[in-house]
Amino acid sequence: MAVNLKRSSGEDSDGGKTSRRRMLGWLTGAGLAGSAGLSAVSNFVFIKPRATYGQPQRFSVGKPEDFPSGTRAILAARGICIVREGTKLAAISITCTHLGCTVGAADTGFACPCHGSRFDQDGNVTGGPAPRPLPWFQITLAPNGEIEVDKDIEIVPGSYLSL
Amino acid sequence: MRFALAIGTFLILVVHGIVFYNQFGHPWERNQNTYFDQAKVLAKTDAEKAALAARKPRIEQIVVSNFGETRVDRCTTCHIATDDPRFSSHAEPVKTHPYSPTLGDFQKDGKWERRHKFSEFGCTVCHDGQGRGLDAEYSHGKDEYWPDPLLGFVTQDNWRKDHAPKLKGKEYMQANCAQCHTDTAFPGTALVTRGRQIFFASNCYGCHRIEGLSDGTIGPDLSDVGRKWKLDYLWGRITDPKSILATSIMPKFNLKEEDVKALVAFLKSRKGRNFAETEIQRFKVKLTGGAELVQATIKPVKINPPEMVKQGEKLVLDRACTACHKLGDRDGGIAPDLSFEGSLRDSEWVYAHFKNPKSTMSDSIMPAFRFTDDEFKAMTAYLMTLRGQATPASGEAIYKNLCLRCHGEKGDGHGPIAEHLDPYPRDLTKAGFMNSKSEARLVNSVRNGVNGTSMPAWGKAVTEEQAKAVLGYIQTTFTKEPRRELKAKAIPETNPVAMSPESVTRGEALFVNRCAGCHGRKGDGKGPNSLDIQPKPRNLRNSFFVNSVDDKRLFESIQYGVQGTAMPPWIDYGLTNNDVGDLVNFIRSINPKTKGGQHAAAIQ
Repeated sequence: MAVNLKRSSGEDSDGGKTSRRRMLGWLTGAGLAGSAGLSAVSNFVFIKPRATYGQPQRFSVGKPEDFPSGTRAILAARGICIVREGTKLAAISITCTHLGCTVGAADTGFACPCHGSRFDQDGNVTGGPAPRPLPWFQITLAPNGEIEVDKDIEIVPGSYLSL
Repeated sequence: MRFALAIGTFLILVVHGIVFYNQFGHPWERNQNTYFDQAKVLAKTDAEKAALAARKPRIEQIVVSNFGETRVDRCTTCHIATDDPRFSSHAEPVKTHPYSPTLGDFQKDGKWERRHKFSEFGCTVCHDGQGRGLDAEYSHGKDEYWPDPLLGFVTQDNWRKDHAPKLKGKEYMQANCAQCHTDTAFPGTALVTRGRQIFFASNCYGCHRIEGLSDGTIGPDLSDVGRKWKLDYLWGRITDPKSILATSIMPKFNLKEEDVKALVAFLKSRKGRNFAETEIQRFKVKLTGGAELVQATIKPVKINPPEMVKQGEKLVLDRACTACHKLGDRDGGIAPDLSFEGSLRDSEWVYAHFKNPKSTMSDSIMPAFRFTDDEFKAMTAYLMTLRGQATPASGEAIYKNLCLRCHGEKGDGHGPIAEHLDPYPRDLTKAGFMNSKSEARLVNSVRNGVNGTSMPAWGKAVTEEQAKAVLGYIQTTFTKEPRRELKAKAIPETNPVAMSPESVTRGEALFVNRCAGCHGRKGDGKGPNSLDIQPKPRNLRNSFFVNSVDDKRLFESIQYGVQGTAMPPWIDYGLTNNDVGDLVNFIRSINPKTKGGQHAAAIQ
């Protein structure tokens, strides 16, 4: 190896043109760096799983007819409350923003049984330790006529789906 | 050196790149993007378009716990348009799942509604396949190690090439419909119902057990066969049992292809326990699961006396009797030839044998089939008309026609069906045995048969001369030793010891000491030494045999042994006639002539 190095160091002093040795060095470096970069990216991607256990985040909750006007239906298994006012529909989370308890319906909106957080009809905090209002989820009408809720996409509170 | 290093690192980069592409450039992402793009074109409102624009490709899954173990079905990750009716004419995988009235779907206001919503049922409940898979090959179960490929859609590469095309077709999915729709008259599972009929009509239930349906013990239990095996195996096992297991004794039934298909679908539907069943229903089925169940599934033939024989013939031929027995040119190769049945047995014997084979032959492996009484009578009447052809004159021809099936081509008792007979056919090459018995006794065995064994009484078909001719043929061809003059033996004509409880007790003690090693403690011929002995020790609980031989013959066999078998002459071991008398009394006492009969008092 030592001999080899010496000989090639002699060839290196050509000046001007990139030598074969330098070229190979670049190739090696690029290959290693590229591999390392790809591995790093892959590792970071794998930190967040693509699929999670449990029920899907996007699901259908039935036909609009199932929710007559004025309904505030709590779907505990899905963790949402379907609100219908006239032709407007919304899906509000019923997971308390404080420590994740399931909030219940109250006269004035929602009330958390664990630490007494209270929310109004639109999920805004009116009392208790909850730091944020209850999020609203995207709600769409699927082509087969059923209401689809996507818990992965939060929308601005107060934006309804109008039928 | 440097060059190699450069190439090497470059290759590593390429490999990394390929892995990266495969891991993150999923086909399902492309599918979903295609779907979003096309749906955006079809979208009518801006809100819809905005909602679609907000969606990014991701793994969709349906979690269903109502059907056995929790299923996670990610099929809709690729098949993302399954519930979007606008994609009904697109190509897979971005295509609407078809609507069909046979699936229970119905139309409401001109729009289809699903009976089985995907969010409630998932996909693999009906379709099988690997629900969690995200790769077409693995999720469809093409991989040969996956137990449930898409039922009726996917065949695996290692399946037999001649079977594979027959195993496609969505009608196989009825097996999964039947997991919940257990009603036999359910119109959606016609194939399974047909298979169930064949299961009974072809007498599969005689050998196989299916919990709640049948209780055969000869073949394997099929209660959860659908969970254990794939279509290919089931098809192979039915059409050609020996191709999968060389030692299989299952007969080849020669069913029509559509019948095999129905049977395969039926077996695939037997997964141990149906989703719709409750414990109490199962219990009820168990209670009623006898002849009534068979007769409810296959309509019993109404026997009308003038046509009895004809109807009996039809029954014998239709209900797979020839899958085991031989009849004319049909030969199952497992059980005796029925062509001479009319001249060998009387109708009472045949009828009793039908009702319960063991009631006329202790060790028969024939299952008790669930025909109606009238059907049994008709079949008996038909068998009584079978007389075979006229018996030929020469000994050789007689042997080949009548004896070979059991005693074998070489006369060594290993005939084609011998392994299914118990007791095993006599080895006629054993000169010791053949020459120690008088000709009269051999002729008697031929003409009057040996009770309790498969040797029938040939008397009506074989005259005394013919019997002597065939015995002569056997003597010269198989035994190959000339007959000798029999030595006189000192055998008492009748048992010198009177039957009494004391004598039976003494006999039992002697039996346990001297005989149990081969004949077994219970006298059933299954003692520890019996495994190494051929012919097998006599089953002394075979009452038909024991009651047919007189004391003199038992004395002879015990005192002088049976030459050509492992039975030694016990006179050499110091047994007196009185000892043997006790033994004979013991043997008689375990074979009561009838319940509470002759020896019952002595046993008390």
